[in-house]
Amino acid sequence: MPHHYKNPNEAFWSGFKQALGAPLWVLFAGMIGFGAMGHTSEISPWVLGLSSLLIFALPGQVVMLEMLINGSSYFAIALAVTLTSSRFITMTVTLFPQLAASDKNKKLYAHVHLLAMTAWAVSMRDFPSIDPKYRLRYFLGLGLPCWLIAMPATLIGYALAGVVPPTITLALVFINPLFFLLTFTDVKPWANRIAIVLGGCLGPLFYLLDKDTSLLVTGLVAGTCAYVIDRQFVRKAMP
Amino acid sequence: MTNLAGSELGLWIALITACIGTYLCRAIGVKLAGHISQESEIFSWLSAVTYAMVAALTIRLILMPVGLLETVPLFVRILICILSVLVMVSKPTRRLVPALLTGTIGLIISRFL
Repeated sequence: MPHHYKNPNEAFWSGFKQALGAPLWVLFAGMIGFGAMGHTSEISPWVLGLSSLLIFALPGQVVMLEMLINGSSYFAIALAVTLTSSRFITMTVTLFPQLAASDKNKKLYAHVHLLAMTAWAVSMRDFPSIDPKYRLRYFLGLGLPCWLIAMPATLIGYALAGVVPPTITLALVFINPLFFLLTFTDVKPWANRIAIVLGGCLGPLFYLLDKDTSLLVTGLVAGTCAYVIDRQFVRKAMP
Repeated sequence: MTNLAGSELGLWIALITACIGTYLCRAIGVKLAGHISQESEIFSWLSAVTYAMVAALTIRLILMPVGLLETVPLFVRILICILSVLVMVSKPTRRLVPALLTGTIGLIISRFL
């Protein structure tokens, strides 16, 4: 359904409203789960909270936490987290070219920090129905509350860890992957649909071969296969 | 220094380097995005690569989780995901919140069975 906005503010608040619908709560739940997970280790809540504010990428934060507990070296931690975050390169490359030319400036280097999987999935879904000149504002309205909630949620999760039954923490941790899984049902281009299926199948296999590089390798192998299949067969079948 | 969790300084170094590494990925994305057109073939290819990565990560979080989620039997996790997806696609415009609730409540109920 196309979105019509009269001014940039309206686009911002529409994104904000969209965030309140589900993405914000999904992120809130995930960060509470992360804080609760961190409570079981001896790590300072401030390190956990700051990681939510500054890394703002839950899978990378979980990898960091896990490796800190295992006593890995700083270099190994930095490398593993960065490799887990390598998806941000292509996430940005697929989202930001859709912005209006006037919004493509140095400020994007600040705005990009708000990009997480939740805001990305929703923006990829909604951008085609939004006038390009309002897309950045919509994205900011969506991403800003998600980012602002991350650190408080982590600290709340840490504080509540001993109080809330583990079953609830478990459910909160589960909401994140479930949300991503559900958003896949809204993906329209065939190449991307094939990529999701291939990536989902190959991902665990590559993970068993090598944890750190598995995401990058899966992305390149499954994504390229999906692109080729789409180009060679699907596009010809559906002109 | 084998156990970083026991060392304050090591902890902060790990945090700072991890933050820089993650931000660098975002910044490289912005730099590259400036040179890529939405209509190009490379954009289609990179979209497929991204969805494959995100899907791989999602499936890994569900099938091979770390910590608490490991305690839920694999078939229960898969069953709950299938149920939630069915609720999601039961309406052409999608039912996101009911689907999320199905998954969350389903998981809580499974703990009491």
